[in-house]
Amino acid sequence: MADPAVASGGSLNAGGRGSGGKAASSPAENYYLARRRTLQVVVSALLTECGFESAEKAAVETLTEMMQSYISEIGRCAKAYCEHTARSVPTLSDTVVTLIEMGFNTDTLPVYAKRSQRMVITAPPVTNAPVTPKALSAGQKRTHPAHIPSHFPEFPDPHTYIKTPTFREPVSDYQVVREKAASQRRDVERALTRFMAKTGETQSLFKDDITAFPLIAAQPSTIPYLSALLPSELELQTLEETDSSEQDDQTDSENAAGNIINDDPGADKENSMLPPSGGVPSTKATEDNVIDNPYLRPVKKPKVRRKK
Amino acid sequence: SVKTQQQEPRMNRKKDKGFESPKSVIGYVELTIFPTVVNLNRIKLNSKQCRIYRVRVNELEAPFIYNDPTLEVCHHESKQRNLNYFSSAYTAAVSAVDPDAGHGELVIKVPSELWKQGDDLKVLKVYIEFSLDQPKGGLHFVVPDMEGSMAERGAHVFSFGYQNSTRFWFPCVDSYSELCTWKLEFTVDASMVAVSCGDLVETIYTHDMRKKTFHYVLPIPTAAPNISLAVGPFEILVDPYMHEVTHFCLPQLLPLLKHSMSYLHEIFEFYEEILTCRYPYACFKTVFVDEAYVQVSTYASMSIFSTNLLHSAMIIDQTPLTRRCLAQALAQQFFGCFISRMSWADEWVLKGISGYIYGLYLKKTFGVNEYRHWIKEELDKIVEYELKMGGVLLHPTFSGGKEKDNPTPHLHFSIKHPHTLSWEYYKMFQCKAHLVMRLIENRISMEFMLQVFNKLLSLASTASSQKYQSQMWSQMLLSTHAFLKSISNVSGKDIGPLIKQWVDQSSVVKFFGSFAFNRKRNVLELEIRQDYTSSGTQKYVGPIKVTVQELDGSFNHTLQIEENSLKHDIPCHSKSRRNKKKKIPLMNGEEVDMDLSAMDADSPLLWIRIDPDMSILRKVEFEQADFMWQYQLRYERDVVAQEEAISALEKFPTPASRLALTDILEQEQCFYKVRMQACFCLAKIANSMVSTWQGPPAMKSLFTRMFCCKSCPNIVKTNNFINFQSYFLQKTMPVAMALLRDVQNLCPKDVLNFILDLIKYNDNRKNKFSDNYYRADLIKALTNSLTPAISINNEVRTVDNLNADVRLILEEITRFLNMEKLLPSFRNTITVSCLRAIRQLQKNGHIPSDASLFKSYAEYGHFVDVRIAAVEALVDYTRVERSSAELQWLLTMVHNDPVHYVRHEILSMLCKNPPFTKTTTDSALCNEALVDQLWKLMNSGTSHDWRLRCDAVNLYYTLFGLTRPSCLPLPELGLVLNLKEKKAVLNPTIKPELGVGTVMDTPASIGIHGFNTMEEEDIDMETVHDSQAFIHHHLNLLERPSTPGKEPPSVEQSMLSMPATPVPSFSKETPSLSSKHSSEHGHHHHHHHHEHKKKKKKHKHKHKHKHKHESKDKEKDRERDNSHAYSNSPASGRSLRSPSLSD
Repeated sequence: MADPAVASGGSLNAGGRGSGGKAASSPAENYYLARRRTLQVVVSALLTECGFESAEKAAVETLTEMMQSYISEIGRCAKAYCEHTARSVPTLSDTVVTLIEMGFNTDTLPVYAKRSQRMVITAPPVTNAPVTPKALSAGQKRTHPAHIPSHFPEFPDPHTYIKTPTFREPVSDYQVVREKAASQRRDVERALTRFMAKTGETQSLFKDDITAFPLIAAQPSTIPYLSALLPSELELQTLEETDSSEQDDQTDSENAAGNIINDDPGADKENSMLPPSGGVPSTKATEDNVIDNPYLRPVKKPKVRRKK
Repeated sequence: SVKTQQQEPRMNRKKDKGFESPKSVIGYVELTIFPTVVNLNRIKLNSKQCRIYRVRVNELEAPFIYNDPTLEVCHHESKQRNLNYFSSAYTAAVSAVDPDAGHGELVIKVPSELWKQGDDLKVLKVYIEFSLDQPKGGLHFVVPDMEGSMAERGAHVFSFGYQNSTRFWFPCVDSYSELCTWKLEFTVDASMVAVSCGDLVETIYTHDMRKKTFHYVLPIPTAAPNISLAVGPFEILVDPYMHEVTHFCLPQLLPLLKHSMSYLHEIFEFYEEILTCRYPYACFKTVFVDEAYVQVSTYASMSIFSTNLLHSAMIIDQTPLTRRCLAQALAQQFFGCFISRMSWADEWVLKGISGYIYGLYLKKTFGVNEYRHWIKEELDKIVEYELKMGGVLLHPTFSGGKEKDNPTPHLHFSIKHPHTLSWEYYKMFQCKAHLVMRLIENRISMEFMLQVFNKLLSLASTASSQKYQSQMWSQMLLSTHAFLKSISNVSGKDIGPLIKQWVDQSSVVKFFGSFAFNRKRNVLELEIRQDYTSSGTQKYVGPIKVTVQELDGSFNHTLQIEENSLKHDIPCHSKSRRNKKKKIPLMNGEEVDMDLSAMDADSPLLWIRIDPDMSILRKVEFEQADFMWQYQLRYERDVVAQEEAISALEKFPTPASRLALTDILEQEQCFYKVRMQACFCLAKIANSMVSTWQGPPAMKSLFTRMFCCKSCPNIVKTNNFINFQSYFLQKTMPVAMALLRDVQNLCPKDVLNFILDLIKYNDNRKNKFSDNYYRADLIKALTNSLTPAISINNEVRTVDNLNADVRLILEEITRFLNMEKLLPSFRNTITVSCLRAIRQLQKNGHIPSDASLFKSYAEYGHFVDVRIAAVEALVDYTRVERSSAELQWLLTMVHNDPVHYVRHEILSMLCKNPPFTKTTTDSALCNEALVDQLWKLMNSGTSHDWRLRCDAVNLYYTLFGLTRPSCLPLPELGLVLNLKEKKAVLNPTIKPELGVGTVMDTPASIGIHGFNTMEEEDIDMETVHDSQAFIHHHLNLLERPSTPGKEPPSVEQSMLSMPATPVPSFSKETPSLSSKHSSEHGHHHHHHHHEHKKKKKKHKHKHKHKHKHESKDKEKDRERDNSHAYSNSPASGRSLRSPSLSD
């Protein structure tokens, strides 16, 4: 720890136990004030070392501020380097890299540290480290289970991982749910169709009031059978959802109950899917390659001798 | 006299070439002909609308005449407007080109150099080059109007037609009885697939690599009408179970195709198993096309279906329908394509057999209940039709071809040709044919029946592999005679009487039955009367089965229906009701407990059924007490009996009937269609009982119990249609409930709210099936709930004075219709229902009657079901509002619409729901312009589509009847003739008299109409000018030998007032087109030569075709021959106007 600031910081922590009883507004504030005072002493000592006899308070204050900023920056930067390499505690190299980054010539540091006219500063008074205010405690903090070594970090506060049982019971009355779903859907549909009717061409059933019961105008399409025959995306989606859900079970149980003989349940199930992945039972899929169907054969090149 | 052995049509379909018009085809046909007679110097082929460039016979240019008398049936200057005249002229025109009689539109003269060769019966090769430009019939092009290449647009083309219509797209012998083998080549754009009959041998690119040629070979002798073609950018699916079977659909529909076809192999297996015969062709192709002419049309080794039959796995209602269509198509592959008919009169055998085996498939797949229900449905249909329209004759015989022997004088069309038949009649014909096959089965047993089929197929199969020269191919043609002989050989039974009754004779039997129980003798006295004097009825003599359910069991009795015995005594088995506790045995052996308190204490009879097996084509009106019908409904296990009981109970609105119906509704073992029928009956009964009805509206509590939530009975469960029986019931009950009426004759508020709630709470999110049909039915229920609005002094309907309930209904319909635009339902069922609802709202006076909405939905570009629904509404609007504008709009659509099916439907709907009829003469719509318009439509406007022409004839008949329409002005000359001639004078046509001068001086012509049933003769006279021109024209045209003094005596009466009245008598001379006579006639006509030339000059501008002629002399000869050939038909007068003669 060649860094004077860090060293002095360490000594700040080491000493200063005596001044714990000082009256202050809060312990945390006390702690920071004490450290700031130490820093001021350091700045003053350095000034003395440089040959100053006295200094204006404001100047000392400014210099202290600069010093603090500089040290904080070193710390922040060093921590960033350390975290970058997935560690939690900065090492010497982190600090060195930081200093270099900040344009400081590290080679000059040992010489400076060993200079003769160096002043020794007494340790700052010890103050209590600030206690982070306790978050709303929720439940008992869990201890490590037996298989986790004790040196591992403790569990975080329970509120971060347990459910907070503070919500209201939702309405589970079937009738209300259905009612709600129905009116919601109706509202959406009505709003949507009204919007479409407002923005596009409409037809009306009444001559006196063409805005009452607006009908979206009938638009001929070029290939009308496509939309009429192909299931809409919504329907396909519904099908996918229900395919794996309880309705399949119903089918099975009902089929069994009704004694419906199904020689090939696989094929049947496949038929019920849309779009069926292959349309071919898996066993047949391999045969597919050898199907000789004239429509699958490649088109031949015209023969040269043929004249047309 | 002419046999074709091989045809090789080759077509180049040009669709997307900039310099040529799209929708055109150029091609050639090469026929190999084996003469069977010496002197074969003319060959007659069928061809319509083709442009023929050249004809060569054995490499020699051959002159030809191309003349289609059906283009314009009656001469366009003719003022004749009575349908009798048209029908006979049309029949004559069709006969004149009938391939079965050796006629044709295209007459090719064999070059004289080859006559010698022909005398030795050597093979002739006829080569014809032709083209088709924008054909109106025969081939249908679907070319969506959008950006992109033809393939991207899904453009396709397919052949279609009613009966033998192949002549529309290439010259051929268009007869079902003229078999030959085929080589077919189609050159199409490289992005397209050409699907045709037979085996695809190879596909070769053209030299520029932009097109490919599909080479097909059909080694099995096949008639030209069974040849078809479909070209399009099809997606190809090889059937996973049968690799010889290939399915084709339009782009993007492959998933639907996969699902819809996943079942086909089972139908194959079924038919092959019952017929113990392999599918006759080496491959099978199904093609699904848009704008199909009919849902199913089947050809040799391929079938063309409507693309609208395709569906996904989510669709319930369409599934059985599609499977039925597939089964129908496949049945006709065996009987209809592979085995073809000998003549038109034998059509019933093929339709009968294919319909019958299709029925067997229905029985196997959908169950006996469904089968019996179907048979009853079909029987009811044919009985209703025949009683209303007159008999349907399966096997007409035309002795000597004389028109006066018309076997069906009650019809306004001739049944001599398929092309003159009304479409509805033909449907009924097919229906009757399969019912009669079933009667034969009843008589000889199914085992023998199938043996007969197997025998016919094996014979045909053996014959098909033989060479033409072996003369075996006729085994592939089935005649009535051969069929009956085969039946008698196999079964050893004589079914002569059965055939005589149902096949050689038209009409059905109408029974009335009633009974009394004689307690003293313990005898059931049954009385069965018949009505055989009404139209469409015949007298039945023979056995009839009667089933009597008594307390001690069910007993069958066979009674003999004889000339004069009406009463039949049937001894009863059960003495009386001794043992109350005893179970009652049913026909099927089941024993059931019954509550017998309802029955008559003195009688052991529970119910009686007459002809329970439907082994007579009949209608039975049987009288028995209401409790007997109720027992029959509850305990008889036959669905037909149950359905009969339900229909009968409509007349007994009592609490007991209500209970019986409700019990049936709830019984899950009961056939679902019976339960559905019970719903409607219950609604009717409830309405009849409205003043005494107790409890909630009919079916409401039942529906609640079956389909609503236990906890909240006003909310329907979320949809789960896994049980199809309850699905159909759930769909039907609201529709029936909406028919309920309260004392004010309004739909009860309860019921309406209930239906509105069903719509509101309908939730399909958890369902694996689509609810589109269910929702459509809920809209139908809303429609059914509508009653006429109370109108105060005819006020105009406005939004403000809208009834509150109607407002709610309208709200729902608006939302449904609008949502459909965003999320279209399968086949747009919702839109269809909404359009019907809106029309109903209009009709009931709730909203202003307006046609514009329907017009927009009827436009081309909407899904066909939607269009049809809109047209239906428009037809109804036209009738109710007597709107001439809408009628014109519809008729314009009949002219111009690209979809043949829509055109056909417009005319059929106008027939079913006519704006006026022949009996209502006061309609403003009925005017001369309309008569002329419709006359023109059937006379010349529909020559490209047999079916449409017959539809137009039907409409004309519906509107104006057989005689001259009453709205036409009286003839100017005001001559009244009353020819009380009892002999039928048919075909009132006009013929020139011998003396030219005389005719010229008689400025009138008379059309005589003389059916013996008619009171008044219909006389049609024209203006001086018109008739002069007409007669003059005919004079020039008809090169008839002079027949002085030949007029029938009947006319002489009229001659007093009007000399030289032309008289129709062409039927006396049957056209003799056979080449043997031609030279003789040619000679005969020599002295008319100068007249003929005159005609030629006059009509030169009509000639369309270019020919090369070797010599003018020959041309003249040929002309003479041919001009005679057609002179016997009224159409001929017209027909010679456009022969392809030129120098």
